[in-house]
Amino acid sequence: MMTEIDLVFAYIRPDKLGDVKQALSEVGAPSLTVTNVSGRGSQPTKTSQWRGDEYSVDLHQKIKLECIVSEIPTDDVVEAIENAAHTGNPGDGKIFVVGVDNAVQVRTGKRGREAV
Amino acid sequence: MTADPAVIAEGVNLVWVLVATFLVFFMHAGFGMLESGQVRSKNVANQLSKNLLTWGIGAIGYFVIGAGVSTIVAAVTTGGGLEGAYGYLFGSSNEWAYLLFGAAFSMVAASIVSGAVAERAQLGGYLVFAVAVGTLIYPVATGLTWGGGFLAGLGYIDFAGSGVVHMVGGVCGLVAAYVVGPRSGRFDTDGSPNVIPGHSLPYAVLGTLILAFGWFGFNVGTAVNVFSVTEAGELAIASYASAGRIAINTALVMGAGSIGAAALSYARTQKVDPLMTANGLLAGLVSVCAFANIAHWSTVLVVGVIAGVQVVLVFDLLEKVGIDDVCAVFPVHGSAGALGVLAVPFVDTTSAFSVSQLGVQLVGVVVLAAWAAATTLLIYGGLKAVGWARVSEQEETDGLDASEHGVETYPEFGQQLSGGGTASVPGTDTPTATDGGSGVSDDD
Repeated sequence: MMTEIDLVFAYIRPDKLGDVKQALSEVGAPSLTVTNVSGRGSQPTKTSQWRGDEYSVDLHQKIKLECIVSEIPTDDVVEAIENAAHTGNPGDGKIFVVGVDNAVQVRTGKRGREAV
Repeated sequence: MTADPAVIAEGVNLVWVLVATFLVFFMHAGFGMLESGQVRSKNVANQLSKNLLTWGIGAIGYFVIGAGVSTIVAAVTTGGGLEGAYGYLFGSSNEWAYLLFGAAFSMVAASIVSGAVAERAQLGGYLVFAVAVGTLIYPVATGLTWGGGFLAGLGYIDFAGSGVVHMVGGVCGLVAAYVVGPRSGRFDTDGSPNVIPGHSLPYAVLGTLILAFGWFGFNVGTAVNVFSVTEAGELAIASYASAGRIAINTALVMGAGSIGAAALSYARTQKVDPLMTANGLLAGLVSVCAFANIAHWSTVLVVGVIAGVQVVLVFDLLEKVGIDDVCAVFPVHGSAGALGVLAVPFVDTTSAFSVSQLGVQLVGVVVLAAWAAATTLLIYGGLKAVGWARVSEQEETDGLDASEHGVETYPEFGQQLSGGGTASVPGTDTPTATDGGSGVSDDD
């Protein structure tokens, strides 16, 4: 079933969440789900220390965003996140887009695009 | 109206000894914060419970049994009589004021141990040991020294207890940590150490400064008599005459100790390590206890810097030999205490340096350390034999808060997510951001 619903995953810097939220509401996609996550990518390992003993931190704090997109072009949402989360340094994050088979609005029982 | 000088002396002296006692008591708040900050969030309530009950059970033990043991040891080692050792139990109000000062000191020695065996020692076994410190290990140390026993007879000098209190507590902690064994994951099978960061640097630093505050009572309070009455019946200043010297030495040595540790940590990693700095501050305070009343402030600075530097080096050594001293209590109290005792003949302004005094101080260090080590080995070894030394591996993994107390100290730790997008540390006990450096390289 083609629902024309996309799910946009984005893994971004925690301190960019405010900018990304702002950008998403500006393109007309204010709904989102946010999770604290840690992960490893291209960002270099960080050295931390405890009583002078150094240890490496290679899991970095990130924010995972999930946006369901149907009414506006998915590319607009992707670009909004991409621009707002950008610093140009390793560790800015990744964005993935996947198609969604179906959706249900719990309150009304609506299905498909109407549910979003 | 005429005033009786004896009444004035008694009243003022009582006020001072009790004020000092209360300051020393407050050090327990410092130990509680210092130690709980250095453990993971799953072991905080356990660490605090150990600190609470150390006072509760240990102070009673010291009062009912320990103080008498001290008198008996002093008598036995000098050939004196034993009668009246427990007379204080039926004593006077004044006597109890001074006894409480001693009790507060005894529990400083006992509290030190909980930091060394944190995160894996069983509560029950630990408390048995705390009672042993209050009733036996510490009272014997004071009986040999301040009580007038064998070491006092030799001329051993240890004003406020670098050796008697801190080194004894530090050695007990070291040996207890050795007997209990390291926390799981602290060392790899090849012996290389892993870092297990504690959960709160702010607690650790707050505890350090509370301890430093109480230390003024510990050191200046040891100049316990403000007034005395001369044979002519006049008031005279007593040991309190050196109060200003003790206070300035106490204040300056913490600076020297913190600078020594901070400088060495900076030299090694190009970063100033805050916890090491805090540990260095305390090591400085430990070292000055022995001679705060007789040293010039300039020599105190030198000893303080050495005390701070040795914290870094001794802690390294412990890691090399595979002893997991969670709160670095041996570098801070044990070796720094020995340093203070041995420094006495070098910094004593009341008499010239003498090798014989150094020898006496060395005998004091050896006797007190051997006593503390042997009794700890015996008592904690016994606790280990009956399975009271440490919790099971599963309980250690779950955290002692859950397994020994049924509480979660921070149920909502790390759950917040503000609109500004400030993410906090994940609220798990497994340090997801600190996987100990498995050496994974950067990749895409």
